[in-house]
Amino acid sequence: MSDTATAHHEDGHKSLIIDNKKLLMWLFLGSDCMFFGTLISTHLIYRKINPTEIDPTVNLFSLELTSFSTFILLMSSFLMALAVSAMHKGQIKSFRRNVIGVIFFGLIFLGCQVYEFTEFVHLGLKLDTGTFGSTFYLMTGTHGVHVAIGIFWLICMYFYSYTGKMDAHESAVDVEVAGLYWHFVDIVWIIIFTVVYLIEFIGK
Amino acid sequence: MKKLSNGYSRFISFATALLALTFLSGCDLNTRMSTFDTKGPIAEAQLDLFMLTVWVTGFIFLVVGGVYVFAVIKFRERPNDDRPLPSQGHGNPLVEIGLIGASVLLLVIIAVPTLKGIWYTHTTPNNTYSQLGTWYEGDDLAAEAEEEILVIRVIGYQWWWEFEYPQFGINTGNEMIIPAGKAVHLELRSVDVIHSFWLPRIAGKVDLIPGRANSMWIQAGDDFDTWVEKNGIEGGEVELQTAYANYLKTEIHNYYYGQCAEYCGDSHARMLFRTTVVGDDEFADWVASQKTGHTAPEDKSWDEWYKTYDSHPESLSGDVNEGLKLFVGRGKCIACHSVQGNPRALGVAGPDLTMVASRQSLAAGWLNHRAEDGSIDTEKQYENFFKWIKEPDVVKPGNLMWKSNGNGIGELTDPEDPDKIKLLTDDEVRKISLYLQTLK
Amino acid sequence: MSTTVTETHETSTHYGSHVLKPERSNLGLMRPDHGKSVLIDWLTTVDHKKIGIMYGVIALFFLLVGGVEALVIRTQLAFPENDLISAQRYNQLFTMHGTTMIFLAIMPLNAAFFNFLVPLQIGARDVAFPRINSFSLWAFVAGALVINFGWFLQLLEVMGLFTASGPTAGMNDLVPSMGWFGYAPITGIEFTGAGTDFWIMGLQILGIASLSAAMNFVVTIINMRAVGMKMMRLPVFTWMTLIVSLLIVFAFPAITIALAELMFDRVFGTNFFVTAGGGQPILWQHLFWIFGHPEVYILVLPAMGIVSEVLPAFSKKPLFGYAIVVFSGAVIGFLGFAVWSHHMFTTGLGKVATAAFSLLTMAIAVPTGVKIFNWVGTLWGGRVRFSAPMIFALGFVWMFMMGGFSGIMHSSAPADAQQQDSYFVIAHFHYVAIGGIFLAVVSGIYFWLPKICGKMWKGNLSLWVAIFSTVGLNVTFFPMHFLGLLGMPRRTHTYLEGFGWETYNLVCTIGAYILAFGIFLLVVDIIRCLRSGEPAGDDPWDARTLEWTTTSPPQVYNFARNPIIPARDALWEHKHGPENRKITYEPDDGHGIHMPSQSWMPMIASLGFVPLGLGLSMMQAGVAYMGYVAIFGLLMISLGVALWALEGPGGYHLHPEEEN
Repeated sequence: MSDTATAHHEDGHKSLIIDNKKLLMWLFLGSDCMFFGTLISTHLIYRKINPTEIDPTVNLFSLELTSFSTFILLMSSFLMALAVSAMHKGQIKSFRRNVIGVIFFGLIFLGCQVYEFTEFVHLGLKLDTGTFGSTFYLMTGTHGVHVAIGIFWLICMYFYSYTGKMDAHESAVDVEVAGLYWHFVDIVWIIIFTVVYLIEFIGK
Repeated sequence: MKKLSNGYSRFISFATALLALTFLSGCDLNTRMSTFDTKGPIAEAQLDLFMLTVWVTGFIFLVVGGVYVFAVIKFRERPNDDRPLPSQGHGNPLVEIGLIGASVLLLVIIAVPTLKGIWYTHTTPNNTYSQLGTWYEGDDLAAEAEEEILVIRVIGYQWWWEFEYPQFGINTGNEMIIPAGKAVHLELRSVDVIHSFWLPRIAGKVDLIPGRANSMWIQAGDDFDTWVEKNGIEGGEVELQTAYANYLKTEIHNYYYGQCAEYCGDSHARMLFRTTVVGDDEFADWVASQKTGHTAPEDKSWDEWYKTYDSHPESLSGDVNEGLKLFVGRGKCIACHSVQGNPRALGVAGPDLTMVASRQSLAAGWLNHRAEDGSIDTEKQYENFFKWIKEPDVVKPGNLMWKSNGNGIGELTDPEDPDKIKLLTDDEVRKISLYLQTLK
Repeated sequence: MSTTVTETHETSTHYGSHVLKPERSNLGLMRPDHGKSVLIDWLTTVDHKKIGIMYGVIALFFLLVGGVEALVIRTQLAFPENDLISAQRYNQLFTMHGTTMIFLAIMPLNAAFFNFLVPLQIGARDVAFPRINSFSLWAFVAGALVINFGWFLQLLEVMGLFTASGPTAGMNDLVPSMGWFGYAPITGIEFTGAGTDFWIMGLQILGIASLSAAMNFVVTIINMRAVGMKMMRLPVFTWMTLIVSLLIVFAFPAITIALAELMFDRVFGTNFFVTAGGGQPILWQHLFWIFGHPEVYILVLPAMGIVSEVLPAFSKKPLFGYAIVVFSGAVIGFLGFAVWSHHMFTTGLGKVATAAFSLLTMAIAVPTGVKIFNWVGTLWGGRVRFSAPMIFALGFVWMFMMGGFSGIMHSSAPADAQQQDSYFVIAHFHYVAIGGIFLAVVSGIYFWLPKICGKMWKGNLSLWVAIFSTVGLNVTFFPMHFLGLLGMPRRTHTYLEGFGWETYNLVCTIGAYILAFGIFLLVVDIIRCLRSGEPAGDDPWDARTLEWTTTSPPQVYNFARNPIIPARDALWEHKHGPENRKITYEPDDGHGIHMPSQSWMPMIASLGFVPLGLGLSMMQAGVAYMGYVAIFGLLMISLGVALWALEGPGGYHLHPEEEN
């Protein structure tokens, strides 16, 4: 998973401020901020333009379920941090334990989302239900895809760890990069949870 | 290097010659849609701002361009140049800050009038002189409209314009009539894609966007006070009023050209419109006849005509009657068009055809029959009607008059066999055209 | 200079042999390194120079394609009520002309310069992620294919071999025809056919290509600089690359999401831009221009960078106010995100928003003007040599100034109400695009081609290129200012007689052919240079920056030993500066030069976008089995990425024997 021209051999003298891969991930996350920024602002703008289109607090949003899945995602981030730290120390077994935890929690989150979507469709919120359906599904769906990609990535890492090619030096960076991604996805969810779900309940 | 400078001078003279040619051959700035030849306060304000930007940027251009050319010539490398290297200066902060300051100052010269201009063009005035109660000479004005200015709802369709006058309950297509010297409020709406209303000599454009309530105001010609002030004319009130009326009549009453300015699909290029600026009395007359609409041919009442039409249509003879029969019958025109007065012509998908023969263009301004002197060239008008009805898909590709859910001219079927397409014959088209020419 | 090679896995072993054999990757597959076939070598290359050359060649091809489209447009408009082509064909041509020139010609031409020059200018052996670089190139090719595929389908349609069915049944516009900024709702499924789907998919893929390339360049410039190449010693061109790359990173997401929303509207019936469902078409304009205005600077900043390199080189003087040029570039980039609504002055933004965007637009003129002052300041007191690159750079300053002035005229919102969507705007941005960007790029080609191919230009044909292109562009676009002010709206396939537009249009058309002839001469000159130019030598122009210290063309590893940079304008200081400013080199550590392995995987992954994009678009036109083609594309991408991840970075070592 590494792709640097200057892998290990010759860049002690480079103007290295931050590892290439980490910087790349930071840039991607900066870009991703704009992606989610656009999606979330589209949603909020349409909530403002069409405020009476739907009241999601009535017979739609289940705060209990979403709070639960939010908590699960938060916990997965915690485990992710443990996994990164384990890898830095070269404790491959502890790394595997924690990564499995992250994957498991991530899957629970995804499961909740799938359940939520099915439930919402049954309750009448479809993709083409006004602008709310459109923005809600595209936004949370994009987030779900991010989670799914993260899970897939971590599963690959988990199995890769059995090849014996992972070491505390180079692979720790790879794991850290995956961790950055995972934390970001988590933070985005907290924002979505706040401005899409919680805000609707103000004054209810 | 000699060769190169030769090339430069050759290049410069060549370019200058070509550009000069452009100007000599087409320097007339008073054309139909010229933004230079303004006939209203908004276009004028916009032109003033434009000229201001031209002067300011022109000044910068002369100064910077001059220094630039001077530097290039003065500091050029000479043949066999063996002077030591030029001084390797990296810049001078004071010069830089000075230049930044100067450019900010120059921009302020533009910025202040720009802000004023934005507020002026964006705020519909409600002057006494523009209020309907002040100038409207008809007798059928609702009381609440007395203190309003004239409102026209402009609705954009692919590819034509509807002009609705809600205060009078009338409606026309592609040719708008407005009174001279009065502010008019335009409500801009679109039912399909984005269009843009542009009447260059009277006002810059504002877009018609679906789902959005845009508006603008326009005014053809100055109001009395502005006109007096601008021309600095002295004299008694009556004298001045006469001179003002004369100004409106000679300089403002006219036929103005406009066009859709936002790309709106296939026939965007053929979505034009016209605006006729008229006097107060003429406007009132127009409203009145637009409201009354038309009687049936030979001044029959519609009840009478339709009674005959329903019972024994063959007795309605003559080209005009035949044309009307096609208009309400086989031609299916009334599926989309309405004609004030005619109780069965109530279609709304296409332009209202009341007084269509008084309009000086057809097909949203693409087919024109306005003669040099401003009157209608009836022969040309006939040709245009014929062409438009015969092949609307050629005149305006993609438009609904040709294909529209079975009601289009290109979808007309044989009355005997509804599955067979049978287009209008030349003779039928001729008759419809002749009928339409009576709607004036 | 000869080289010997060692393999990564046995770093200490030197292979004496000069025959390089491919190695197996972690997957056990043969790596395409040192292959005998030239074709395979180019397809799998990860060398930033080769990738840059390929970007350049493909971009020049699309420049010609876009140019031919423009000529057809101008020919159609030469006379009033001309019917050379139909309205629909005209609309497709102007849409594709804009899309092609922006996304398939100028952006990749800039990318060609970024790729070739940036690592050389910062003293690096390659970009930070060579395989991602290869991925970006081929994703760009994939996007270009998808976006242009409609022409092929349209040809079939004209020949009567294809009719759209499915969701776009009855719509025969198979080439995009809604204008390059595709204002909703004309992009909706009820107004335009499958052409719009090709456009959406194509732009989406091009966005992925640009994003991955941009991130790569940011990392490269920040992390891969040679010792001593501090940020404020970077050549201005590299600085502009950095700013442009950051603009891409932050601006492209807006259009990616807008395109995704549009695609959902068309395919799944969502209501993002559908008025009937509560959507607001105006939202598209905001999203588009939040991307679109930075995009303008994405196009023009590299041109400014090129000129900021050429002017000092041919004035024998450092760039006047280097720090301010760099800073103003950054300010332009930053402000570029804050002026998007000046494209929307006529959409009824309201007074306050209009006023704010009007003022911000004027503000952005200041850093732009500063650059012009600094270029003039660079010439001042210098020794101006009229070599080919300099002629074009000087032309750039003049023409760009004119384009800038009409830009200031637009900034005054009420005046813009008359200019918006008229030929005045066309004149404005073509002065910026052709007078500015194109002349700068040609200047860059004349400047750097000797470095790229190792051969020097022959004769004075460049002068004729300059004459014809500058005269052509002025004759074409200067009258358009007047056309616009005389009321001619843009994007009209024809016009009526009697509006005073006839002469101007005819002159514009003549100008377009003059310009085309100039570009033809440019191509001839390039071919002459490549075929029979004399060897250029390392530093034919007495230039200033690090790339001129390498051989022409540069060796695959760029620098035999890593340079240590003592000052800005490193080579110039090395040649003419004091003794303590000589470029020195790091000692040979005996490891050799680490070279990345070539790979098929990035190309496989990115070319998977072709079936994916075509499949999804053609589904909309009702072509059978396209869903499977799309799934195949997705699998191809996944497979490519997976194998890419698993094959390992590989790499080998070169041991160049120094000549001295």
